[in-house]
Amino acid sequence: MTVGASSAATVAAAQRFQAAMPDMGASLLATQAMAAPGELLNLSLNASAVLPEAAVLLAMIATLLVDLAGEKVATRWVPPICYIGLGSSLVLLALQWNAPLEPSFLGAFLADNLAVAFRAVIALSTLLSLLISWRYAEKSGTPVGEYAAILLAATLGAMLLCGATDLVSVFISLETLSVASYLLSGYMKRDARSSEAALKYLLVGSAAAAVFLYGSSLLYGLSGSTSLDTIGLALQSSTTPLAALALVFVLATVAFKIAAVPFHQWTPDVYEGSPTPVVAFLSVGSKAAGFALALRILVGCFGAFDDQWKLLFTVLAVLSMTLGNVVALAQTSMKRMLAYSSIGQAGFVMIGMVCGTEDGFAAMVLYMAAYLFMNLGAFACIILFSIRTGSDRISDYAGLYQKDPLITLGLSLCLLSLGGIPPMLGFFGKIYLFFAGWANHQYLLVVVGLVTSVISIYYYISVIKMMVVKEPQEASDVVKAYPDVNWSLMGMQPLRVALIGCVAITAVGGILSNPLFQWANTAVAGTPLLQQAIALSSLKGLG
Amino acid sequence: MLLSLLLLIPFLGALALILWPGSPSSARLRDVSIVLLVMQCLASFALLLPFDAADAGLQLVEQARWVRAIGLDYALALDGLSLPLVLMNGVLCLVAAISSRTIENRPRVYFALLLVISGAVNGAFLAQNLLLFFLFYELELIPLWLLIAVWGGANRAYAATKFLIVTAVSGVLILGAFLGIAFVTGTMDFSLRPILAGELGMTTQLVLMGALLIGFGIKIPLFPFHTWLPDAHTEASTPVSVLLAGVLLKLGTYGLLRFCLGLFPDAWQVAAPWLAGWAAISVLYGSLAAIAQSDMKRMVAYSSVGHMGYVLLAAAAATPLGLMGALFQMVSHGLISGVLFLVVGVVYAQTGTRDLNVLRGLLNPQRGLPLTGSLMIIGVMASAGIPGMAGFISEFLIFRGSLQPFPLATLLSMVGSGLTAVYFLLLVNRAFFGRLAIAPGEVVNPRILNRVALREQAPAIALSLGVLVLGLAPELLSNLSEAATTGLSLITGDMS
Amino acid sequence: MTIATTTELICFLVLSAVVVIGALGVVLLSNIVYSAFLLGGVFTAVAGLYLLLNASFVAMAQILVYVGAINVLILFAIMLVNKREDLKAIANLTTRRAVSAGVCAGLLALLVRVVVTTPWSLPGPPAVGEEATARIGEHLFTDYLLPFEVASVLLLMAMIGAIVLARRDVLATDVVTGEVADQGLIEKARTPLLMNRAE
Repeated sequence: MTVGASSAATVAAAQRFQAAMPDMGASLLATQAMAAPGELLNLSLNASAVLPEAAVLLAMIATLLVDLAGEKVATRWVPPICYIGLGSSLVLLALQWNAPLEPSFLGAFLADNLAVAFRAVIALSTLLSLLISWRYAEKSGTPVGEYAAILLAATLGAMLLCGATDLVSVFISLETLSVASYLLSGYMKRDARSSEAALKYLLVGSAAAAVFLYGSSLLYGLSGSTSLDTIGLALQSSTTPLAALALVFVLATVAFKIAAVPFHQWTPDVYEGSPTPVVAFLSVGSKAAGFALALRILVGCFGAFDDQWKLLFTVLAVLSMTLGNVVALAQTSMKRMLAYSSIGQAGFVMIGMVCGTEDGFAAMVLYMAAYLFMNLGAFACIILFSIRTGSDRISDYAGLYQKDPLITLGLSLCLLSLGGIPPMLGFFGKIYLFFAGWANHQYLLVVVGLVTSVISIYYYISVIKMMVVKEPQEASDVVKAYPDVNWSLMGMQPLRVALIGCVAITAVGGILSNPLFQWANTAVAGTPLLQQAIALSSLKGLG
Repeated sequence: MLLSLLLLIPFLGALALILWPGSPSSARLRDVSIVLLVMQCLASFALLLPFDAADAGLQLVEQARWVRAIGLDYALALDGLSLPLVLMNGVLCLVAAISSRTIENRPRVYFALLLVISGAVNGAFLAQNLLLFFLFYELELIPLWLLIAVWGGANRAYAATKFLIVTAVSGVLILGAFLGIAFVTGTMDFSLRPILAGELGMTTQLVLMGALLIGFGIKIPLFPFHTWLPDAHTEASTPVSVLLAGVLLKLGTYGLLRFCLGLFPDAWQVAAPWLAGWAAISVLYGSLAAIAQSDMKRMVAYSSVGHMGYVLLAAAAATPLGLMGALFQMVSHGLISGVLFLVVGVVYAQTGTRDLNVLRGLLNPQRGLPLTGSLMIIGVMASAGIPGMAGFISEFLIFRGSLQPFPLATLLSMVGSGLTAVYFLLLVNRAFFGRLAIAPGEVVNPRILNRVALREQAPAIALSLGVLVLGLAPELLSNLSEAATTGLSLITGDMS
Repeated sequence: MTIATTTELICFLVLSAVVVIGALGVVLLSNIVYSAFLLGGVFTAVAGLYLLLNASFVAMAQILVYVGAINVLILFAIMLVNKREDLKAIANLTTRRAVSAGVCAGLLALLVRVVVTTPWSLPGPPAVGEEATARIGEHLFTDYLLPFEVASVLLLMAMIGAIVLARRDVLATDVVTGEVADQGLIEKARTPLLMNRAE
């Protein structure tokens, strides 16, 4: 028995789950068995499930139209348009929370609570990334309108990926996200590092996409359908080597998207070469989409291969936690350090996925939400620092506390939270993951997680030491020449809002984290897919 | 509500200091934090009124759900084990704030961190939920790291980082053991509850208890996990040293009694002979290493390693008398090491060195530091267990309580106690007796040292008085805790 | 064996041979122009295979998109970048080739084994022949409406991105302050990775 299992929400969700299942079965039959000509057209599409995405799309188109009026107008009007689009998207998502489940587009998309939760994380990460990017983009002289439009397109792809329940939708949304990410990482086109990052990302990403496509074609061949539900059913009856091969292919793509070791090689270079706000989005939004995809495909389709993919994921998680955190020790660039740290953090999240219990999934959702705030808070700080000094070397942060207490405090709190120091939000997220892991007897993962989080404390602390402990006479040259703080420039206020908001939530959110925990538990309880997996694994545990 | 007050005062106080408008002077901030700590001290002494010493159970229980999903409850309670430690925390934090006279660098942060530590330690002593304890245990980590790293000596970065990493390892071990306790028993419950014999295999119990033992052993610290302590003490400023030795090491010994002994009575009984041996080794090692030191502060730090070994010895014996002695030792060591560190701090401030090869004749009434020297002698006597002082009572109780179950280990520890006298006599003899100048070319010239203002000595004087009072009237403390320590020892069966 | 099936078999064998040999040529020939034309041949042969499977719409799409657009684009790219350049010899080329051949052979063996042992979900849906275009249209507006629409967003975004990356901005400035900007990363303090390594 899990702790949250007795809550009323779970019971209600289970009832809804049972109520929803026949519907889904019926519509699936309608699509899969070749219906008579024209019959499909009479079925309800239930397209309102993608209204949040529609809001993002409208914002994207409005952004492009406004951009026609010139760079000055764009700078003035693009930000509010994006805020309105993403804000209304978040509101629409809130309305979908716990709504009755109905598959839309005849089984191509499902807005269950899991999808809503992950889409909210993604939309929020885009919103925060945009808040911190305006000044960065303006200072580098790159067009703001197209930047926002591409980022919104990436968001659109990522959000659809969270709810896609059909291989074709999955692939198209994955590609939308990926292509937009390639474009964004090469956005500083006059900079060789940025172009290099984009090229590397493109090459490795295309290879991953091809592998995914190959795996999908195998799955289609096995089941004769592109619907994930049907594939799942087909795989249960035929556990052939081919299915295992498809599993490996799909898993490689997922691992690439969440940057798990050994599919991580692109991460440090891409993170270092991409514009920093883009890195912020990639490290949270893109990663959240990757985890949603992993849940949809691995938990949803490969239930029959539970032991196999869990074993593979265990290996990936152990490698990610170890390598990510150990290599981060040696980094001298802040962005590179955060890149490796994000590899390690992905390893922590994978613990929850391997558990496959109610708490495990809830811990994943919770940690992604916590990671959103603490990581974006940290990125807001380093962007502010690089805007002011043009540097992201860790050694250049020496003695910063005297010149800029805001960055020092914000970055310190966010890094401590990433390291899992109480009473920050990250502590609660991490302890929930370990709690779930231990409850599911994943001792190896938990022990590795505990040990590597000590290692991670060391490198997070060394940044804090740089900023806080160094005396004024030991300050770096850039800090000695630190410019006066000027918040009145356009684009600085949003940055400040995002920074203070993220840091405040990171610092106080832990103490007031009970609602967040309930939210994560409801997300799992309101997702038939996960409930099925949980029921299955608990049956297995009994038998 | 009274217990929550002990957390609210320091935490909100720290917040208030951070948000204090304008740029207040260091003295102003110090005054404010002293007022806050006096309030906290009063609040902790106010606990004596509702506290019923005859009751061995938990009192003044405050319970509220915090995070249901991970079984984290806000559960605070008081018993005879935690009350003396809370009182000591109140006193020592106040002493630390009062003796932070020379803090000119970033005083706002300094005093805020001091308050956070004080609140976190209170929380750890009062927590009745394993995760809540862990939260407070980790909470004190970063502030103390900063206190050492920013306001420490020349080699502070190394010492602070070493402290941080080693203590983080201890935290991880403790968290792992706590998770194990909650899940291996299948209860998923983080409330404190002794694990019964049939509930869990002995091997599992021993493994979990071992993890806890090493975790707390790092914090206490016991040989061979002690290496961070001398470094941290040497680099830390005087008030931080007082806090570190007086309060934070007690988190380790408190954890030993409350969680290792309290939760695993059966496994504890199995491991007890080994633990007694470990205690004796730790005592002897600490004492012998102290003899070899020439830095006064390092010597006191190593003496802590030795003296904390007694607590493990008494806990291993787990007799009512021994446990009372362990508690007594925790309190008296807190006070005595406070005196010693304060005096060493005064000597260092006056002479600029702590090197025993250099210092001579400080007791000389005409040119030296007579009052400081006298205080040092009181502290040293108390530490060596001279009757009439608190140290004597605790050592007597410990040895009396553990002689019967573990005669050899106790005898060895007594030898260690004798060695305490040896190294402290060395210290007093070299630094305080003799002529002020021995040979030409000394660092300390035969000049007249400045008189130390009485107010700078006041904290040390107050603590020495406490040492004397407890030595002469031990029932003040024993009455408070007798029921609790007896209750703790009975779990292990009657061995006295 | 009727004449129809025999014809079908012959067509299949011929088309397959064209696909395999052409694909090998694409990879193995060192002149990139030959490779590009061979690729066109492969695409066309694949279209023929689609026709054999009674999927006329897909076959037409294959010819229009792959042969008519993509392959032509590739040829354009090759001809526009008509620059003979002597590439540096790669060290241990033979070993590398041997290793990659080994890996590919292993993968092939694995796939063949898997293909042989797998109970494929046969027969698949019946071919609809003449009706295919209508049915595809139906699907594109019902259960595949979402990916269809998202694809348009993807194309729009890719187009904008390509324009942004390719556009020649003569003078870039910070719109707000008017300072000259260089469209590079704000963090200047580091050295580029590739250049660093090349030295």
